[in-house]
Order: sequence, then structure tokens, then C-alpha cells
Amino acid sequence: MKKNAIGEPLSRVDGRLKVTGAAQYSGEYALPGLTYGVLVPANVTCGTILEIDSKAASNAPGVLAVITPFNAPKVPGYQPGAAKPVKGLKLFNDDQVYFNGQPIALVVADTFERAVYAAALVKARYDKKPFETDFHKNMDKSIVPQGGNYKDYTRGEADAYRNAPVKIEQEYTLPSEMHNPMELHVTTAFWEGEDKVTLYTKSQGVVSSQKAIANAFKLEEKNVQINSRFVGGAFGSSLRTWPHEVAAVQAAKLLRRPVKLTLTREQMFTLVGYRPLTIQKIGIGATPDGRLVGITHESFSQTAVYEEFTERSVNVSRFLYASPNANTRYKVVPLHVGVPAPMRGPGEATGAFGLESALDELSYALNMDPIELRLKNYAEVDPERNLPWSSKYLKECYQLGAERIGWSKRPAKPGTLRDGDWLVGYGIGCGVFGAYRSRTLAKIKLLPDGSINLQSATSDIGPGTATSMIIIAAETLGWAAEKISFDLGDSSFPMAPTQGGSATVSSVGSAVHDACMALKQKIYSLSGKPENSTDAIDYGTILQKLALPVLEITQESQAGEDAKKYSMYSFSAHFAQVYVHALTGVVQVKKLVATVDAGRIVNHKTASSQMIGGAVGGIGMAITEEAVIDNRYGRYINGNLADYHVPVNADIPQIEAIFIDQPDFIINPIGTKGIGEISLIGVAPAIANAVYNATGIRIRELPITPDKLLV
Amino acid sequence: MPPEPGNSANETRRDFLKQSSLLTAIALAPGAVLKAAGERWDEKIAGAIEKVPLHVEVNGVQHVVSVEPRVTLLDLLREELHLTGTKKGCDRGQCGACTVHVNGVRINSCLSLAVTNEGKKITTIEGLASGKTLHPMQAAFIKHDGFQCGYCTSGQIMSAVALVKEGHANSETEIREFMSGNICRCGAYPNIVNAIKEVKEGGLS
Amino acid sequence: MNQFQYTRTTETAAAVKLLAKEPAAQLLAGGTNLIDLMKMGIVVPQRLVDINQLPLKSIEKLGGGLRIGALATNTDVAESPLVKQYFPLLALAINAGASPQLRNMATVGGNMMQRTRCPYFFDLMMPCNKRAPGTGCSALAGYNRMHAVFGASNKCIAVNPSDMNVALTALDADVDISGAKGSRKIKFADFHRLPGDQPELDNNLQKTEIITAIELPFSPFTKQVDYLKVRDRSSYAFALVSVAAGLQIENNRITRAALAMGGLAHKPWRLKTAEAFLQGKMASEAIFKQAAAVAMEGAKAYEHNKFKLKLAPNAILQALKTAAATA
Repeated sequence: MKKNAIGEPLSRVDGRLKVTGAAQYSGEYALPGLTYGVLVPANVTCGTILEIDSKAASNAPGVLAVITPFNAPKVPGYQPGAAKPVKGLKLFNDDQVYFNGQPIALVVADTFERAVYAAALVKARYDKKPFETDFHKNMDKSIVPQGGNYKDYTRGEADAYRNAPVKIEQEYTLPSEMHNPMELHVTTAFWEGEDKVTLYTKSQGVVSSQKAIANAFKLEEKNVQINSRFVGGAFGSSLRTWPHEVAAVQAAKLLRRPVKLTLTREQMFTLVGYRPLTIQKIGIGATPDGRLVGITHESFSQTAVYEEFTERSVNVSRFLYASPNANTRYKVVPLHVGVPAPMRGPGEATGAFGLESALDELSYALNMDPIELRLKNYAEVDPERNLPWSSKYLKECYQLGAERIGWSKRPAKPGTLRDGDWLVGYGIGCGVFGAYRSRTLAKIKLLPDGSINLQSATSDIGPGTATSMIIIAAETLGWAAEKISFDLGDSSFPMAPTQGGSATVSSVGSAVHDACMALKQKIYSLSGKPENSTDAIDYGTILQKLALPVLEITQESQAGEDAKKYSMYSFSAHFAQVYVHALTGVVQVKKLVATVDAGRIVNHKTASSQMIGGAVGGIGMAITEEAVIDNRYGRYINGNLADYHVPVNADIPQIEAIFIDQPDFIINPIGTKGIGEISLIGVAPAIANAVYNATGIRIRELPITPDKLLV
Repeated sequence: MPPEPGNSANETRRDFLKQSSLLTAIALAPGAVLKAAGERWDEKIAGAIEKVPLHVEVNGVQHVVSVEPRVTLLDLLREELHLTGTKKGCDRGQCGACTVHVNGVRINSCLSLAVTNEGKKITTIEGLASGKTLHPMQAAFIKHDGFQCGYCTSGQIMSAVALVKEGHANSETEIREFMSGNICRCGAYPNIVNAIKEVKEGGLS
Repeated sequence: MNQFQYTRTTETAAAVKLLAKEPAAQLLAGGTNLIDLMKMGIVVPQRLVDINQLPLKSIEKLGGGLRIGALATNTDVAESPLVKQYFPLLALAINAGASPQLRNMATVGGNMMQRTRCPYFFDLMMPCNKRAPGTGCSALAGYNRMHAVFGASNKCIAVNPSDMNVALTALDADVDISGAKGSRKIKFADFHRLPGDQPELDNNLQKTEIITAIELPFSPFTKQVDYLKVRDRSSYAFALVSVAAGLQIENNRITRAALAMGGLAHKPWRLKTAEAFLQGKMASEAIFKQAAAVAMEGAKAYEHNKFKLKLAPNAILQALKTAAATA
């Protein structure tokens, strides 16, 4: 029997289900008596709902309920005085409208078509109030985040770059970007009795969803069952439980029937978060020989008036380079818009666009190769926390990536390399993201036929979690992968953190590793072998020998104290070769190389795919994606997939992912660091820098659409 | 046909052009819809036209159903026939997740009214494999890891199978262009291209 | 979507009759635009007449050219050996639009009837003279990056989104139309209209009429052609600007030129003066550049689409260069 080991490529264990259409997503459970919920969005941007006329809707064929703020059953967790009151928007709980598109009613009918039709019949009367959605106009009203988590940062002298002999002072703008997972956000909910509810919902964390729903309806957590076995992408949009999910549960309770509430693509532009519009002001200064003197990084980021959202867009400037002086400031601009949410590489992706662009500008001002400039300011220890890195192979990333992209062909003078009608350029951008690990539980079961089943309440939004877990188990147990199964996406399984922050393999993988170790120990002790035995175990016959029906262990796993002595990050260096059409300004990314220090790679096959996927997201960020609001109306005018341009196949070249593949055992026993975020962080600046190298035009406002490159 | 100059549009204009605080009534539907609802027009005609008989063959199975004319082929497949392998990603022909073959031709089922498929043969992702044997394109997608979350995958594979048949899989550039009607947010495009190349080079039955 | 009555018809005459009797009925062909508009609540028909069974699908060679049935799909046309041989520009233009799936559904007639992609037209909550006459044009002082620089009015600055239409304009096509009062033929260039005071009307087809075919006269543009579409992503996106270019060059002298553009006006924009300028001149980059400048005379941009004044002539230049270089 072939034993699988960490590092060997393994095809996805759920691949067959996905290529045959058999994988069931949250909107695909044909429950008896299923009803369909459709939200009615507000068409004013700020105001008070005076009246909702739902007569026509209620009379429409097949309509079962029209829930509005004026008739909605109370959600206990929404009420003042509730223990742990629900944060953020509370749908149908009051008459206030905070942003255009905020749902003001929920229509439930016996078919999808009837629900959609009836939803269009709902009328509302508002007392409209003035609103602000214009970020640029309201920048002067920016405020220091009120949440209490954020602090400005200064190392050495603030704004020291100003006195540097060579300096860059620039502003970088990133528009709002939408997660736009391919699956529409959907929740199917049904109650059993008064105090027990089951959800099939698009969730990155079934345990956090369970807690959120239990808290909203003041139920015992064990009476809230969350299923999210297959998630059609999320990228951060399903990290939290959204108000519409609560609304589906509310409607199901009222109707005592299963309710499936699906958002439209248009509604996903306002109701499930986005990467917020951010303007970064960066000052960076160096000595003439390229030693950094200081970095000042200031960000202004969009948030909602009804809930504050913050991210770490300035933090990269604190530790990515060894500058003796660094300071960061961060402010938010509350607007009448939906609240943002973390989107792949949250904060860091935005920050890296600013910092890595500014550094590139500095390299030209110094007349120095951008890689040389980075090497000259290489941080051998974490300058922010003054701690050693648990591991860092960024130098190796620079070197390997430069070789693969053909960096030697990069023209030192921009706009001088041509291929026919196209201008050619090369760029680099670096990514960095914390290597996190949280407390996780996993259950392992040895079954009579020698097969192993593992369970943990983690999710899989696409990275291939089960496949990676099986590889870890296979190696740890010394058993064949095909004898091992891994179940996830079910809140009744042992507790696991939400799938986010690139931490799943580290957290859940460690629990799987520890559970496997515990099983081995148990078997050794039951069979009278020493605890540190290295003898192979024949799982096929062990239960017979031990006269046991099944062996089951639930194992908890978390990082030790040692981890606090180190700074732990994943690093990436992205290299882009771009072609820019000299007449039309069209940008084509011709080649992309991602070099990655993400610790040990569990499954090269899926890890490569994840790196490629992040790069595709980065290409979108760089050249195609931008959500546009018409500030006269406070409404998105490209809230659909035809006008909001997610990259298509024709935008994407072959992309190469190269892993340093050095284990980091300080973080976890498997030696992994995490790749989900660094696959994207640093890609957009690599492309923007390559566009400058090709054309001599510096684009400081993404995306780099053709109109910006016409000279 | 020009759109109905409904009341709502006028109210919308008045509403939006004046930024001051005022009371407004805005329905989220054009005037004609409201008028129809007010007169219970749809209920009056409901008996006569609500549902239309429809004969379709899906994955080799004959179905005789009765559908409202406004039901799309996509919703018929997913909600009525419970063939949920075909996905809804936008419902507006902007993503390709709902791609199926109608009489062997790939289309977006979200923009096709079910009733217009009378007598036609539909193939969905569920009908691609022969028994337990995967279609070569399905196998190639697994081999080349041409997906991550799996949500666009059915549409990608249905498109890919059609693409090879159409004769537009002759180069990477051509494959990319003719696969651009299928959006993949996970970014599996290069792997998808590699899967198609392999099937194309190996021949596809 | 509202409920509606659904009628299938198999004869063109029957469809025409139905339209005459029930002008509020709406013809359904490929549905790629109409069903979307119905889902968005922009078109609210009480009856759909499914014309997909009408015998209007054939593509055939007639005496002086090709006749393409109005119900031939975009793919049928782009893949037709006759079209590829005699009108490669049309095949190029069609393949630059939409996606393979949509092209498999969309028909020639439907493509001609395709409505604008102006975001304000698509949002019931915003004023739009095209959707709701008299409410105002949101694009005039709004986000007008995709909008017209030629032929617009103060009532509407939307553009026609079709690629196929651009090629058909350049190729001097005719449109065959059937109505209650019989058949008529109009120049393709006269089919679509400028917005003027009635932006709700995209074209000159009467409500009771049906497009039956496109006729293309044989032209010299069988080799040296290019369709250049500049857009925000490489495929599956509407044009910022597009150019259909055809050249006939003998001994390096341009004996005939065909030029039309998309993304610039409420109708496909034929560049007659630039064509005339090119005629008889020696083919060169300098001449192409001058032709592009001639083509742009009279263009007027708005706040967000000023780039088109630069992009459009550059695109013309590039398309002419590519066409001239095509053997």
C-alpha cells in the first residue's frame, strides 16, 4: 500500500464530487416544504422608513410572508439590554436606513419566481436624510478608529524620511474591491420546535456561525446546527454571520418551514463586505547609497456609519524593511455605505501596494535595482517587535524569482524595451502575512477495517483542506491516504477556528497531527509498547488484536509559549513581466512568478493552485477591478459581473509558483506557515511596477485600465 | 419595445434630484408591474397561462413538466429537477456557471426560458460521465487541479467539452479566449487551460 | 420577473400578424438581452412571442452577396465558411463580443436590437430618458466613462454596445424587414438612430415589424481587415472603443477603405470622411494617423470619457496598421 507523505502532490479528495456536480453547496438542499426568500433593498441612502406598503406583494400568488421592520418578529439578540448584543446592522429591527441597498423587507414565497416578482411590488415611504458616500470629499472628516484596537506607531523619529537625501512622497489609491465569490451568498434555515434550528449556510466558520446564530436567537449553542460542507469561494466574505443569515432564520421561525434566502449578485455588492477604498500617503527616504532613513505610512480607509471596520494596511511598513525610523497613522472615513470585510490579504494587500510602489519609485530615484534596494534594507530581525523571525527566506525568494522571470532583461531605464507595438517591463512586489495558529480540536477514529476518520469543524472555501489534512494524517500515522477520510463543515464536529488568515493548515493541521500522535500513543500503550516506539502500526488488524470495536480520541492542539519569542510571518516575492500596448494602453501580464517562503508545503499540487489563484486575484486588483458608486445617488453603478471586471481566462498567463519549502517548526509541528494571503499580497505592486518599467508612467491609482496609459 | 414609462421612474427622478429631506413613495418595480398587481391581472390570467407543458430530455431522461413561462432553464434544473450541479453565479449571463449543452451546444441556462427548450436535449454536468467512468475532461480537471472551490467547475467543464468539439482549442491563446465566458474567482485558469490542452491532445470522444 | 403569456410561432407572417394585433407583445429570439432586461424589470411584456422556430436561420450566397437570416446565431455567422471567406471582418467582430455561450444563443436580429449598457439605463432607481422618457439623463453629469463622444444629445449619451453592428455598418449591409404593410429594405447604417429628443428609440424598426435578414454586398475587404476592440479586460467585456477596418491596397495605394467604430455613439459609427481621406493615398503610418485625426473631427467628450478622444484615433491607427499588414 502506498504511503503518502507531506510534500507529495495529491489530487483533491473531493475532486470527483466537484467535477460531477455532486458536491452540494448551501443552496442545494431540497428540503420538504422549502420556501424562497428574496430581500427588498432600500433605494434611498439615508433616512427613516415611514411606511412599507406590502399589500400588493402579500396578495401576489404564492407569497407566504412579507417581513418588514413594522411586523418582524423580534430577534432577541437585537434588543437593547440583551446579553452580548449583536453588533452591526440589525435587519428589520428598526426603521433606519444607513446605506442604499440595505434590505427593508424580506418576501417569502413558495417558488423562487413568485418571491422575486412579489419583492418588486413592495413600496416604501421614507423620510430622506442627507447622506455622504463620496470618500474623497469626506477625507477631511476622517477619524481615528474608535474600536480601541488601533494605535499609531512610531519607531525612532517620526517622519524622518523628510530629512533624507533622497526621498519619495506619494499618494496611492485603491478603489473598493468586491470579493465576488462565484457562489451567491445563501442560507437555508429550518427550525425544529421552538429552540432548535439548522442552517445550511455559506460560512468560512461553522463554529462562529453557530455562536452568532445562538446569540442572536438566545439559543443553546448545541441547538444550533450549522452545515457548510462545500463553500463556493468566499475570500473573506463569509468570515462573519451577516444580517441576512439572521433574517433567513427569523423567517423560517415565523413560517415554520425551511426558508432559502439567496442574495443576488447585485446585493452582494452591498451586503457581504468588500475591500474598502483606501488612500495611502507614503513618505520614504534613503541615503544616496540606498539605506533607508525613514518610512511614514498613513492610510485613510472607507468604513460604514453604522459599524466600524479597520484593517492593517499601514502595518507592513513597520517591519518589512530595516528602516531605523518608521511611523504609521491610520484613519477611517465613515460613509453611508455597507460595512467592509476582510478580503484576501486584508490590509496587507492594500499596504503592500503602497509600500512596494513607493519603494520602486525610490529605486528609480536612487538609480538602483529594486532588488538591490530591498537586499540593502533586508530586515534580519523583526524591526517592529525586535524579535528574531521564526524563519525567513525572502532573500532566496528574490533570487529564485529573479532567475525565473528573467530579471536580467529588465531595462534600467523605463520605456526602452519593445516587442513590436508593445512596451515591455518587469516589476517586483513583496508579500508578507502573519503565520497564525489557533486552538483547535480534532477527533480521530480508528475503524475495524483499518480506516481512519478525522473530524474537525473547519471549512473549505477552496484550498483543499480535507486533502491537506489527509496528507498530514497519512504521514503522521504512516498509513495510506486512501484509508483516511476527513470531515469538515459541520458545527457538531470538534471546535475549529474560522477558515481565514491563512491559518487552517497550521491550526487544524496541528490538531490532526496531534490527534494522530495521540492515537499512535494510545495504540502503543494498549499493546504494551513504549510510548516513544517507532514501530509501524498495522491499523488494519490492531483493533482485533486489542479486542476493541473502535478507537476514538478527541485531541486539542495549540501553540506553546515558545512561539511568543519569535516573529512569525510568511513571505513572498512576486515578479511580473508585462506588455503594454503603445497605442491603446492595454496591459497584458505575460508572465508571473511567485516565489514563496511559506514553510513546509503539505501538498504541492493544491498549494501551487492556491498561489496561482491569489496571483489571479492580484492581477484583478492591478488591472481590472473597481467598484464604482455614483455619489449623487449613493448607489453602485457597476454592481454586476459584466461591469465589475473579475479577470477572465484571457487575462491570465501561465503562472509559476516556486516554494522555498523549508519547515518552520517553531509555529507548528508540521512546519507550515500559510499561503492563502501572501499569494495575493504583493502581486498588484509587482504589476504596477512592471507597467512603470515598461512605459515610464507611474500609476498610483488602481486599476491600471487602458485610459490611464494613453500619452 | 421601449420600456414602460412607469410612475416609479418619475417619482425616482423627483426623489433623487432633490436632495432635501422629503417624503417619497418609491416602488421597486416599474409602473406596469404595479398596475398589473393592483388589478390582480396576473391572478386573472393565472388560470389560463400560469403554467405551460414542457417536454425536455435531460441527460437522457425524458421529463414532462408544467412550468411558468418565466422559469429559466437554470431554475428548472436546480429547483424542479433537483439537478444542482448546474450553478447560479449571477443569473444574468455574466459568469458562465450555469453553462449546459442544449442539443450539443453550450449556452447560459440562466438566460434561456425553460419553455423555449421544448423537445430539446439538455446535457448537464450530471450527465457527462458514463456510469462511474468520468468524462476525460472531468478526469483532466482533477489531474490538473482545474478548480478550487468547485462552484464554477460544472460550467467550466461543460464549456471545455464544447470548446474541444467546436475546434477552438488549438492553442493556449485560443483556449483562453474561448473559455473567457466562464469566470473562476479562485483563479484556476492556467490549470483549466492545461486540462483542456491535455484532453485536446489526447483526443476527445 | 412578471408573469406573461407565451406564444410560439413557426411562421413569419403569423408573428407579424400577432405584433399588429398586440403591439405590446415582445419578440423573443436568443433572449440573451431580453431575459436580462426582464429580470431587471426594465422590459415588462405581457406576451412573449417565441420566434426561434421561424425559418430565418439560413446563410446563403445570393447574386451580389450574402443573405444572413435574422435568426442565425452569432456563432452560426462567425463560423460560416461563406462569412469567413467573404466577410472575415464580420466574423472577427462577432467573436470579439460576449462569450461563446452567449454567441451560441444570440441571433443577428437580436444583436441588432440589443439595448445600451449604460448603467443608468439598467438601474430602475436612477433617472434615464431611454428607459423612462422625461426623467432626465443621469449619465450627462454622472459616471460617463463608457459613453458617447459622437452624435449624442442632451437627452442621452448612451452608446450602442454591439460589435457585430460595427462590422455590418462598415460593410454596407442592408436590413430586410417584414411588417403588416409588407416588406421593406433599409441601409444598415440607417437602421440605428441617434438619440435626439427620443432616446427611447434605439432604431427605426416599427413596433409591428420584424427583421428577417441582413444582406451583405460582396466587397473587396476579404483579406486586409481588422477588428480591434479595446476594453477593460481581455475578453467578455464591452468596448471602450472598437474599430472595424477594411482596406483594399494595390501597389501600396489604398483603392478603398471601410471604417466604423463602436463605443463612440448611440449607433455604430461609420467614418465616411476618414474613408474618403484614405482613398487613393499611399498606405503609410503617417497617412493612417491623419485619417484617424480626420475621423475624430467633431468629437465631444464628457467628464469621464475624455480618454476616448485619444484612444479612438490610436485604435484607428492600430487597426489600419494591422489590416494593412495582413496578407
